[in-house]
Amino acid sequence: MSWVLIAIVALPLLAAALSLVDGWRVARAVTVVAAVATFALAIVCALDVNQGHTLQTGHGWMRLDSLGAVFLLATGLLYAVAAVFSIGYFASHRDEHGFVAYSRRYHVLLNLFGWSMVAVPIAADFGTLWVAVELTTIISALLVAIDRTDASLEAAWKYVLIASCGLGIALLAIIFLYAGGTAALGDAYVPRFQRLLGVAGGLSDDTVRLAFVLALVGFGTKVGFVPTHTWLPDAHSEAPAPVSAMLSGSLLAAAFYAILRFFQVAVVSGNRAFAEHVLVVFGALSLVAASLFVLRQGNFKRLLAYSSIEHMGVIALGVGFGAPLAVAGALLHVITHASAKGLAFFGSGALLRRYDSKEVEDIRGAGSVAPFSGPMFFAAALALCGLPLSGVFRSEFQIVTGGFAQPAYVGVAILIVFVNVAFFGVLWHAGRMILSAPDGETPSGEVSWWMVGGMAACLIVVVALGLHMPSELSDLLANAAQRLRTPLA
Amino acid sequence: MPTLPDWAVQILQVVTVLCAAPLVSGVIARAEAVVQQRRGPSVLQPYRDIWKLLHKETVLPGSAGPLFRAAPYVSFAAYATVPLLIPVLTSFPLPLAYMGDILAGGLILGLGGFAVSLAAIDSGSPYAQLGSSRLRTFGALNEPIVIFVVFTVALTTHTDLPYALGETLRSSATEVVRPSHLLVIAAFFMLLLTETGRIPVQSHGSTLEFGMIEEGRVLEHSGPGLAFLRWGSSVKQLVLFTIFLNMLVAPWGLAPTGDLGRVLLAIALLLAKAAAVAAAIVVIESSFAKLRLYKIPEFTVASFMLAVLAVVMFLFGPDFGDAKLTVFGAFATITAVTVLLLEYGMLRSQDVWEQLRLYALGSAAVAGLAIATAADGHGGGELYVLGGVTIALKALLFPLGIRFVLRNLEVDARVPSSMGVSSSILLAIVLSAFAFVSLRGVALGSEPALPLSALPVAVAGVLVAFLLMVVRPHAPSQLIGFLALENAVSVGSLVIAPGLPLILALLLLFDVLIGVLVFVVLVQYLAIERTAVRTDVLDRLTG
Repeated sequence: MSWVLIAIVALPLLAAALSLVDGWRVARAVTVVAAVATFALAIVCALDVNQGHTLQTGHGWMRLDSLGAVFLLATGLLYAVAAVFSIGYFASHRDEHGFVAYSRRYHVLLNLFGWSMVAVPIAADFGTLWVAVELTTIISALLVAIDRTDASLEAAWKYVLIASCGLGIALLAIIFLYAGGTAALGDAYVPRFQRLLGVAGGLSDDTVRLAFVLALVGFGTKVGFVPTHTWLPDAHSEAPAPVSAMLSGSLLAAAFYAILRFFQVAVVSGNRAFAEHVLVVFGALSLVAASLFVLRQGNFKRLLAYSSIEHMGVIALGVGFGAPLAVAGALLHVITHASAKGLAFFGSGALLRRYDSKEVEDIRGAGSVAPFSGPMFFAAALALCGLPLSGVFRSEFQIVTGGFAQPAYVGVAILIVFVNVAFFGVLWHAGRMILSAPDGETPSGEVSWWMVGGMAACLIVVVALGLHMPSELSDLLANAAQRLRTPLA
Repeated sequence: MPTLPDWAVQILQVVTVLCAAPLVSGVIARAEAVVQQRRGPSVLQPYRDIWKLLHKETVLPGSAGPLFRAAPYVSFAAYATVPLLIPVLTSFPLPLAYMGDILAGGLILGLGGFAVSLAAIDSGSPYAQLGSSRLRTFGALNEPIVIFVVFTVALTTHTDLPYALGETLRSSATEVVRPSHLLVIAAFFMLLLTETGRIPVQSHGSTLEFGMIEEGRVLEHSGPGLAFLRWGSSVKQLVLFTIFLNMLVAPWGLAPTGDLGRVLLAIALLLAKAAAVAAAIVVIESSFAKLRLYKIPEFTVASFMLAVLAVVMFLFGPDFGDAKLTVFGAFATITAVTVLLLEYGMLRSQDVWEQLRLYALGSAAVAGLAIATAADGHGGGELYVLGGVTIALKALLFPLGIRFVLRNLEVDARVPSSMGVSSSILLAIVLSAFAFVSLRGVALGSEPALPLSALPVAVAGVLVAFLLMVVRPHAPSQLIGFLALENAVSVGSLVIAPGLPLILALLLLFDVLIGVLVFVVLVQYLAIERTAVRTDVLDRLTG
């Protein structure tokens, strides 16, 4: 089965190369095919590893276990849908001057971005993991800047600067961990996860704690943990909508995945309580700050960006609570948040194309102006608030239940209160956009059915996960949660 | 060979300094001329000048009083007294050595300068008074620097007697490469440049009265008085060299007994060591420009900050414990301190080209560390490759490539700063102290042979690099800050994880390469679309 891993990394790279050589029609077709195939392969992998089996290539540089598979699924889903959505998103610009070059740049970068994010959960050692995460940063920075407007350049510059600094700190974390491992593994070794987990019991507490905190701060910069989140709303609001969806749904999660690998080491070395505590603090801080920012946002893409920070806080809290149910819920939240936030950003892109504005004030009566994308955007808002029927409800409910079981009452109280604050903010703004009376100036109708199709795919995933959890997926999540609780078993 | 009595050696110390001092000045002047492709004066020229002046008549300004007439002799006497107190030739204390500690030595040197300044005021000449007041203004920080330098060394030795300081260093070479001591050396060296009137503070031998500081003070003197002032200032220079060498940097090669042969050898070695310092000064004088007058305090403040940082590092910094000194350990510590100091330099610099040069220097130091690590037997031969790639990429390709792009874009090379230089350096010191404090008690559980003292310095480098990016709203400068950050991380990685497999190290470098490319693309966009690379105007997106 290890060929799947190679194929899953090779496909987006191949697509990027093909997008380079030919015109935009070929590029977008190749991108869609590669992205959908990547998602299919991700599902194949996930089905294979959901009982605790691991996939590994012969030389050992690529490895996928159930924990990685969760993140691979989220990435694969958004990559595939974003590829489809992009067709519609750029359709109205087809006749513009310079579109051919723009489209080539966009497709090459989109495929490279997908490739780098797919590589994150497949990396088998801390070094490659860091390289992959850094690649996601620098490639996506170019995607953020692709419009070359004042605002997008500002966003890209802040993003690449802040995220690179964060990753510098994360690199320091890896080096500390590496140095800790030399006592047992010798001077020169490849810092594979399994190998380090094997000797983690003998690492000094200082090493592990230092590495974990540095990793949390460093990779946490990319996750969007407060207070190093400042790049996030800018980048998410200025990137093209499909890119925003991938940033929010899978890039943030990929960085969180890197933290989880450090978390595993902390657990094995007996520092589980410390690591959970730190995660809860960062999670709660992000949740509180972001939900307050959601209230006062006038730009709906920034609103969604702050909502992403809030949801990353929820995930961190879920892992930090430590109960098996909460951890599994947090991992499920990675997938449900990816699909719901993907839907929301796609919806925002559709509205942006219709109204040509990112301000909540300018969007009036979207429910009737855009008969499909308007309501679907509203559905996304409802899902992000964690209303029942959506998968987000299921995952948040699991996290809360797990938190009560632990018991971690303070954390759960913060979670419930501030998720409701965000609920109020998102719903109020979304309601004003969708349910109000049309302004009468904007022509009604959908801009492109490709966009509607992409959104529908996300909506199906969101609702399906809310109505019925496939047993394969719950096995995968349970197994991944098990890997976080007892990594060596 | 016969053994000299202690009093004879003591006299010989003074005589050596008095006789050799003009030679050192002459050697520096000649070497500078050669570097600048001139023939230059003979190395004996200072002696001839003094001889000539001694035979000239004295012309006094109308307003000159006894102060003016006495000053040359008072200052000369002061400078000639100090060699009694410091270890010039012997490693054992001579009879009069305990007359005063190092602060007394400093005060006596100060008295010499004070007398000349008073005479300058007494002369009534505006240029002399200007030089005098400038020297007092800029030199205000010199005494605190000396005090901090002495404190740092005295903290180890529990005394500030010059012979005891040298003795402690001699007892263990580890003391010399202690990070705090390296900073002390750097601070004292900068003080040396200020006190001897060298570039970047003043240009030696300039004839333009307006730019003069030290030489301006003696404009009104003539005849034997001027001879003694000239001689005195070269004596002061050699005294400072001797303090620098025999107490801070290399207290080796001194005579352990009064044996004549050993004493003669000590004289030869002192001259050789002084020649090495002279060479460093020649390099600095030939490669830097004189600072503008109002920038000089920045230089002295920087030196003062280094001395403060040294104390902070000593108090909060890593503990050597009983770790034995290895060449590798020394190299690692020196590299880490170099990289940190270069970052301080970038923090000070207002010029993007200079920042690029400092970065290239830092990269070369990192590459050197990689090669030294390999030579020490770590990481197989792979680190040689890494060192080579580091030089190619970080010391050559990045700086040259970035320079090429910036030249093409015709960006403004002046780097604005959102904070004053002194306050940003002060902040950098606070950050460095924070790094030392937070890593002080950390047990990494690795073998004690590792030069762990370099690690907190590297982490301090990471934090200072952050500061660099924060206070400079200038895109290329922020890119250089990021690269400096990467250099600091590299030092940390070489220090605690020298065995990191080459393939991973190369992957990391490759990643940095791509990162730099993307940064450069964005800088280009910024320069083209916004016609500026200022980043403090990037304030549209808030909330």
